[in-house]
This record gives sequence, structure tokens and C-alpha cells, in this order.
Amino acid sequence: MLQTSNYSLVLALQFVLLLYDLFVNAFSELLRLAPVVQLVLFIIQDIAILFNVIIIFLMFFNTFVFQAGLVSLLFRKFKGTIILTAIYLSLSIPLHVWVLNLRWKSSKQFIWTDGLQTLFVFQRLAAVLYCYFYKRTAIRLGDPRFYQDSLWLREEFTQVRS
Amino acid sequence: MGKKQVRPPRALPPVPSTQQDDIPLNRPKKKKPKAKNALGGASLEGIVQDTGHQPSDGSEPLTHEPLEHADAPVQKKRKKKRLPVESETSFTQKSTPNPSPLLYENGTDLEQAEETVTRKPRKRTKRSQPTGLQYANELGVEEEDIIADEQNHPGQQPSIFTAPIGVSQPVGKVFVEKSRRFQAADRSELIKTTENIEMLLDIKPSWTTRDVALSVHRSFRTIGLFSHGFLAGYAVWNVVVIYVLAGKQLSDLSNFLQQYKTLAYPTQSLLYLLLAVSTISAFDRIDFAKTSVAVRSFLALDPTALSSFLYFAALTLSLSQQMTSDRIHLYTPASVNGSLWAAGTEEEILHPWIVVNLVVALLVGLSWLFLSYRPEMDLSEELMFSSDVHEYPNVDKQTISPS
Repeated sequence: MLQTSNYSLVLALQFVLLLYDLFVNAFSELLRLAPVVQLVLFIIQDIAILFNVIIIFLMFFNTFVFQAGLVSLLFRKFKGTIILTAIYLSLSIPLHVWVLNLRWKSSKQFIWTDGLQTLFVFQRLAAVLYCYFYKRTAIRLGDPRFYQDSLWLREEFTQVRS
Repeated sequence: MGKKQVRPPRALPPVPSTQQDDIPLNRPKKKKPKAKNALGGASLEGIVQDTGHQPSDGSEPLTHEPLEHADAPVQKKRKKKRLPVESETSFTQKSTPNPSPLLYENGTDLEQAEETVTRKPRKRTKRSQPTGLQYANELGVEEEDIIADEQNHPGQQPSIFTAPIGVSQPVGKVFVEKSRRFQAADRSELIKTTENIEMLLDIKPSWTTRDVALSVHRSFRTIGLFSHGFLAGYAVWNVVVIYVLAGKQLSDLSNFLQQYKTLAYPTQSLLYLLLAVSTISAFDRIDFAKTSVAVRSFLALDPTALSSFLYFAALTLSLSQQMTSDRIHLYTPASVNGSLWAAGTEEEILHPWIVVNLVVALLVGLSWLFLSYRPEMDLSEELMFSSDVHEYPNVDKQTISPS
């Protein structure tokens, strides 16, 4: 059974990482005094996304549903989060590389093209969706039903089998 | 000592084939010296004594042999065995008066005694008694204890390896270790304290992970509620600032760019932050992850679903103006070398940007109004945490078949 203190700690860590991600997405364009500042911000942001992925998978592994072998059930329930996180990470890294590559010599340079603008819009939209889905999943994993046998789980199991 | 413990069967008393009368009562007396002799004497001789009918006991002193029992030669031999034991042990002297009446009893009683004794003592004395009595002699245990023990377990064969069976005696006091010392505590008081601890433990788990999740969810909803209102006001303020700085009929755009370029990126960043928080909060309210529920709500023109859509549209529109915002941020007059703003292009670039900002402000304002219509609505909380009905009471009793 998941301890309340442990869950609170993990949830706080996840929210800190999410807030950092949101902060960098919002203010990275503002904090471009030097290219290295953006570099550090982007690296930490990508690592934070990876950390969040690791944490959410560790939480999955800790559930009774996973330990009972119902991995497909977990994936079905949280496939939105998993897919969106993957999409967001796959959009973030190219955008960061692209932006830094263009701004490395001069951070005051106007770099925008239609392609970069499109990638930027999709990355930021994915960031919002990722944030929503991730937050929802992290909160949902606090449900004790995921950590014990329950009628709900048996009903879900029969649905998966049928 | 280990070797000595193995020997006792050799020190069994001889089978009283000739002296059947006094065997039942004198049996302990005989065995003890035999056991002692067996322990002290040589092993080979002991084996001979076991198998043989009468031990010779030639080494034992016969000086204390009383003359009163010299009526029969058979009894003399018996006394030869018994008396050295009496001289050695103290407790056997207590039982010396007993044999005398038995010795003079008639033959019928003696025969009955013979039947019972001639068989059983062989087995008992060979197996049970020598082991028990031998240790009793060595440890100085009272004879009464040994006899009582023998009577309690007549048919059992005591084993060396079995632990002593004792009935636990409940004691009123319990010894509790406190500060590296065991202190006596009253049992009733201890039970009271443990009950109090259990009550405290029962109170603590009431704050479960579900409660944590719910509190976080509600906290974020509160933040979102604040964000909706703040974003609506901020967007309107932004539009007002733009129109004020741009002048009447957008005639003073160069002045607007000069003034607004420092505000462009902070405004854009803050707008994105607030839009993101508001969109997430609006999605939470309609439980956007459940697509069917969200689409149904949207088709039913539910105000919350509409506001979510409007927020997402506003976010997309706002993000699409990132390029223009950066251009405004990097504004330099057209006269300056390397300027991004060619002469006469300000209105062409800025007009759509101002319109988009106006639309964003309208969308955000409308969303806020829609959300204010039903501020308490939160489908996520209802759908995610409405599981009390499905709690499974008897998990242990009912099991699911794996196949």
C-alpha cells in the first residue's frame, strides 16, 4: 500500500518539475540574455521531462494493478499521458536544438521562420496538454484502488478479458 | 558426562526373580546405587550386571549388614545389595522401615506384586528410570519429585530431547523494557496504554493518499479559478494598453512600438502562463481526458466545455503571434541599419497582431463568464474520485480465478 507521506513527497516532486517546465516554456524567450542561459534552462527542462516519465512509470510499477500483471489495463487508462509525454519530449528536444542553434552566436538575433513558428506552437500546445494529462495521472495514482484488490479492479479485469 | 549419560541402561537393577516381595517399594533404592555404580564402575562389568541376575557387588563394603535379616540366605543377598545404598544415600534411609512389613506378607500378595513388577520394571527401569534417577542423584533432586513425575507419565517414555512442558502462569505484572531496564508494569495499565496507541494509529491513517490527491486537485482548482479571472482582466488590460498606445484609428504605431517593445515579451510570457493554467483548469472541469464525456458536454453546449474550447483557441492564437511579438521586442526604427521594420510595414504587421490580441481578450473574457456561470462544476473530481460505491468489502473471502 502506498504511504501517504511517500505519495505526498512524490506528488510534490512531480509538481515542482511540472512547474519548472511551465516556467521555462513561458519565460525562456524572455531569459535569453546569453545563449548559455537558455542552454542550461533547456537541458534542465528536458531532464525534468525525463524525470517525470521515470517517476510516473515507477508509480505505475508500484500499483497493485501492475503487480497483478494488468499492464494493458494501466496502459489503457493512462495511454493519453504516455503518448503525450512522448510527443512532447520529441517536440521539445528538436525545438530546443533548433532555437539554440540559431541563437548560439547572437541571442538578439531574429530567428523566426514559418517552420520554427509551427514547431513552437505545437510544442507549446503539447506542453499544456502534457501538463494536464500528467497532473491528472499523478493525482489519479493517489487513488487507493490502484494499490489494493477491489471490485472496480475485478470489473476492469473482466472487461479486459472479454 | 556425555558418556556417562549413555550408560544408565547398564546400571539397571537386576530382575528380582527370587525376591519378589519388596521390589515395588525398594525399587528406587536399588536403582540409585546401581546407577551410581554404573557411572562409577567399568562399562563391561555393568553390561554383565545387567544381563546377569544378581550383581556380585564384591567391592562394596558389607560391614554394615544387619543381623536381624539373616533369616534366609536369599534375603541376605538382597540386603547385601540394599545396605550399601542406605549407607551412601540419605533419603533411602527413610524408606527402610517399609520393606519390613512387605517382607512378612503372605504369598498371595507377593505373587500379585510379582506379576506386575517382574515385567514392567524391566522396561521402565531399563529405559525411563535410570535416565531420570541418575540425573536426579547427580543433581540432588528429591526422591518424591522423581516418583511423582514417574506416576504422572506412566506410559510415556521420557526423552532427553523433549523440552519440559509447563503450564504458563498468568502474572498480574508485565515487565516492560524502559530505558534499557525491565520495569514491572501493571497489565491492566499496559492494556490501556496500548489501546490509546491503537486509537492514535487509527486516527492517523484517516489522511490517505486519496485525500492528498483530492486536496491537491482542489488547490489547483482554486488556483485555476484565480487564473481565469486574472487572465480575463489581464487580456482586457493588454488590449486597452495597445489601443491607447496606438492612438486614434491606429495612427501612431511608431510611438506604440517604441513604448510597447519592452512590454511585448513579458506580456506574451505572462499571457502564455495564464492561458496554460486556465486551459488546464478548464480541462479539469470537464475531465477532458475522458473524450466521450468531453465531446458530449461540448455538443450539449455546456458552458464549461465551451470555455475549455475557447481557452484552447485563445492559447493557439496567442502562440501564433510569437513571431510578431519577437519582432516587436526587437524593434528598432527603420532608419537604423539592420532594422527588422521596414518603413511602412508597421501597420501591415501590427494590424493582425492587434486583432488577434483583441480576439484573445474576447475569448478569455467569454470563457471566464462561462466558467463563472457554474463555478462549482468539476467533472474530474466526480469521475476520478467517485469510487466509494465500488469499494470491495471482503477481499480475502472472494478470489478471482486466474484463468
